[in-house]
Amino acid sequence: MKTKFRTIFDRLFTGVSAFSAVLLTAILLIVLGPMIIKGSTAVFFRGTVEFRKLQRDEFNRGNNTELEKEIEPAEKTRRFVYEIIDSFKRGVDPQSLTDQVRQLNRQYGQELRSKGITGDDYRDLREAARQIRDKLEETFNSADKDLINENIGFVLELKKDERFKGTAVEEMFTIADDFGRAIEEIDLQKREKYAQSLAEVEDILFGSEQMPGLLGPKPGDKLPQTIRLRYGATRWDVAKKLLNDLLYPVQWVEIENGKPLVPQRHSRAEEFEGTRLEPLFAYIENELPEMLKPKLTFYWQYFVDKSIDSHYFGGVGPEILGTILLTITAMIFVIPLGVISAAFLVECSANNLIIKIIRMCINTLAGVPSIVFGLFGLAFFVLYFLPAFGAGPKGSILAASLTLAVLTLPLMIRASEEAIRSVPQTYKEASLALGAGSFKTFVKVTLPAALPGILTGIILSLSRVAGETAPVLFTGAVAMGTLPRSILDPTMTLSYGSYNIATGDNIGMQVPHKQFGMIVTLVLLILLLNAAAILLRSRISKKLKGMR
Amino acid sequence: MSNGRLDNIIEPAADKNESLVLTPLQDLKGYLFYHVGRLILFLITCTSVLAVLLIFIFVIREALPFVKGASIVQFLTGTIWHPQSEPGEFGALSLVVGSLYVTVVALVIAVPVGVVSAVFLSDIVSFRIRNIVKPVIELLAAIPSVAYGFFAIKVLSPWLMSTFGFPTGVNALNAGLVLSVMALPTIISVSEDSLSAIGRELREASYGLGATRYETLFKVIIPAAHSGIIAAVILGMMRAIGETMVVWMASGNATQIPSPWWDLSQSVGTITATIAGDMAETPKGSTHFHSLFMLGVLLLVFTFCLNMTSEFFLARAKKKIGKMA
Repeated sequence: MKTKFRTIFDRLFTGVSAFSAVLLTAILLIVLGPMIIKGSTAVFFRGTVEFRKLQRDEFNRGNNTELEKEIEPAEKTRRFVYEIIDSFKRGVDPQSLTDQVRQLNRQYGQELRSKGITGDDYRDLREAARQIRDKLEETFNSADKDLINENIGFVLELKKDERFKGTAVEEMFTIADDFGRAIEEIDLQKREKYAQSLAEVEDILFGSEQMPGLLGPKPGDKLPQTIRLRYGATRWDVAKKLLNDLLYPVQWVEIENGKPLVPQRHSRAEEFEGTRLEPLFAYIENELPEMLKPKLTFYWQYFVDKSIDSHYFGGVGPEILGTILLTITAMIFVIPLGVISAAFLVECSANNLIIKIIRMCINTLAGVPSIVFGLFGLAFFVLYFLPAFGAGPKGSILAASLTLAVLTLPLMIRASEEAIRSVPQTYKEASLALGAGSFKTFVKVTLPAALPGILTGIILSLSRVAGETAPVLFTGAVAMGTLPRSILDPTMTLSYGSYNIATGDNIGMQVPHKQFGMIVTLVLLILLLNAAAILLRSRISKKLKGMR
Repeated sequence: MSNGRLDNIIEPAADKNESLVLTPLQDLKGYLFYHVGRLILFLITCTSVLAVLLIFIFVIREALPFVKGASIVQFLTGTIWHPQSEPGEFGALSLVVGSLYVTVVALVIAVPVGVVSAVFLSDIVSFRIRNIVKPVIELLAAIPSVAYGFFAIKVLSPWLMSTFGFPTGVNALNAGLVLSVMALPTIISVSEDSLSAIGRELREASYGLGATRYETLFKVIIPAAHSGIIAAVILGMMRAIGETMVVWMASGNATQIPSPWWDLSQSVGTITATIAGDMAETPKGSTHFHSLFMLGVLLLVFTFCLNMTSEFFLARAKKKIGKMA
C-alpha cells in the first residue's frame, strides 16, 4: 500500500515538473504570440487608396499617374455620399442654412453695386432680397409645417421675377426649393435629433477636429493643418471599424439601476428611416471597397520612415537609428574594458584579497537595479562628467551610452571570462613551449580561440543594451524630436518610444497597430540577436566537444 | 661554394656574435614591460570597482541635500508621498510596501515554478528536451522589460478586468504576475546550476537505497543544494525589486498601502516606478529631485544587502560541494 502511494507521488511529481516546463513555453508563446501577430499588422495590412495618397504626398512614393487613375473612380463613387448628405443637411440644419442665406444676400448686394444699379431700383431689389431672406430664416427655424409651406410658396412665387435671373437670389430659391422638399420627408419634431446624428455621421465620414474620418475631408474643403486629418482611413481594418461605428453607433445605456452603463449598438439606418439619408448607409456599406480600394500592402518602409503626427502615420526609422547609435557607442566602451578585465582576471590574477574585492564589485554592479543606473547616469555623466568637458547639462547619446556601458560591463566580463577560461590549457602550453611570451600567447593564441565565445557575450550585451529603458530615461532618450546631429544630442529609442506610445497620449490609443509595431520591432531585434548568440554558442560547444 | 649556398638557405638560429644571455638593460626592459603591462591591465580591471564606487558616491551625493533638509524618520515611516505640495511630504513607507507587495506576489509564483523547472531540467528530462527548454528560458530572460510592461497593460490588464471584474487592470496582481515571469529565468538557471553541481554519488546512493525519484529529489538533492536555491531566490527577488518598466506600467502608481492588506486588485506605487515617473516632472536641484535620489539610495542599499546575502549562500554552496568531492 505504501509503495503504491510512493509510486503515485513520484508520478505526480514528474507530471508537475513536466508541466512547469510546458508552462514556461506557454508563457513565452502567450507573451510573444499576440504581440507579434498584432505587431505584424504595422507592416502587412490592406492599405487603401488614402494610404497611397499619403505615401505620395509625404514620402514621394508610388506612381502618380497610376494613383490618379485609382483616385478618379473612387472619387466618383464618393460623390453620391457628398450629394446626399448636402441635400439632407438642408432640411435639418437651420443654422447653416441661415448663414448661407445671409451670405447670399450680402453677395447679392455686392453684385448689384458692381453692376452699377443705384437709386430706387437698387433699394427695391435690396428690399425684395431682404424680404426673401427674412421669410426663409423664419421658415428654417420654424417647426410649423403650414407656416413653412406658406413661406416657401411665397418665396417661390418671386422666382418668376425676371430681375432675379442669374443672381445670388436664384441660389436662395434653390435652397428654398430643396428645403421644402426635404421637409416633406422628415418629422420636424425630430429635427434636432437628426442634426445631432448627422453631425456624428459627418465626423465619422469626413473627420472631426481630433480624428480623421472614413473618407477624409470633403473635396473643396480647406485642407486641415494637421497631417493626419488630411486623409481618410488609410487601412482597411480601421475603415471597417469606422464603418461599424457609422452603421451601428454605440450608446451607453443603463440596464439596471446603480449598475455601470453598458454599451449597446443600434442601427443608424433605422434612426433615419423614411428620410432621404436612409439609402446612404446601405450604399456606403456596399460601395466602401470601391471608395477606398483596399489592396494588400507590404509596408517595409515602416522601418525607415519618420513618424508623422506622434506615430499616427509613418514608421520607426529614427527610433531604430537611435537604438543602433546608442548600442554601438556603448559597445565601443564596453568591449575593450570587458575583454581586458576578463583577460586579467583569468590569466594574471592570483586568488588574493584584491581580486576578491574586484569580483565582489563586479557582482554588485550586476545587481544594481537599472533605474539606479539611470540616476547615476544623470548625477554623474549628465550633470558632472560631461559638463566638465564643456557639454551642456542635458541628456545625450554619449551620456546614455556611457551609462549603458557601465550597466552591461559585468555581463561582458563574465561572458568573456567564461570564453577565455574554456580555451584548452594545451593551446597555451604549446604556445609557451614554442617560446612565445605570455602576452604574445594571449593575443595570438588564447584570444582567437576564445573569440567566438567573446562574440556571444558581445551579442548578448548588445541585446541587453538595446532593450534597456530605465537607464536612458534621464540620460538621453526623448519621445519626440529631430534626428540627432552629434552624439551630444539626445535621441529617440525603440525602448523608450514603445513605453511612450503605449502609455502616452490619446493618439497612440487610436493606432494599436503602431503601438504593437514598435514593440515588436524591438523584440524581434533582440530575439534575432539572441538567436544568433544561441546558434554561435551551440557551434562552439560542438567544436570544443570534438577537441576533447 | 656549396657550403655558402647552404648558409644562405639555413639561416643561423642566432647571430653568432650575440650572446644568448640578455644584457641587464634588456632584462630591465622585459621586467618593466611585464610589470607595467600587468599594472595597466590591473587598472583597467579596476574600472568595475571605480564604477561601483562612483555609483554609490554620486547617488548618495545627490541624496545628501534631502537628508539635511528633511527628517529621515519621516521618510522611512511616513505613508504620504506628496512631493509637489507645499511643503512637500516625503513618506516613502507606502512605496517600500508597494515594492514588497509586487515582489512577494512575484516570488510566491516564481519560486515553486522555478525550482520545479530547475529540478525537471537537471534530473528528469532527457538531453534533447533540455536543449529545447533551455533556449526558451534564455529567450524569456532576453525579452526587454519594456516589452513585458507592454504585455502587462495591453494584454494582461484587459484580461484581468474582464475575467475577474477588477475595477482597474493595472494593479499589484498584474505587476506581480509579470515580474514572476521575469524572475523565473534567474531562479531557474541559478538553482539548476546548484542542483547539477551535486554529484552523481548522492543520487545513486539514494536510488540504491530504494528511494523513488520524488524522494531522492526532495529528501536528498534539494536539501543538499539548498544554499544555491536560496541564492537563486534572492537573485530573483533582486530582479523583481529592481525592475522599473514593468511596475511603472503595470502597478498603477498609486502611492497607497492596500487596505484590506490582501487586496491585490488595488493599485500600488513602488520605489522604482516613483523614481522613473517623478524625475521628468521635477526641476533639477529641488527637494523633490533629491528625494528621488534618496529613494535610489534606499534601493541601492536593499539590493546591496540582498546581493551580499546571495554571495554568502553561493559561497557556502561552493564550499559544501568542494567538501563532498
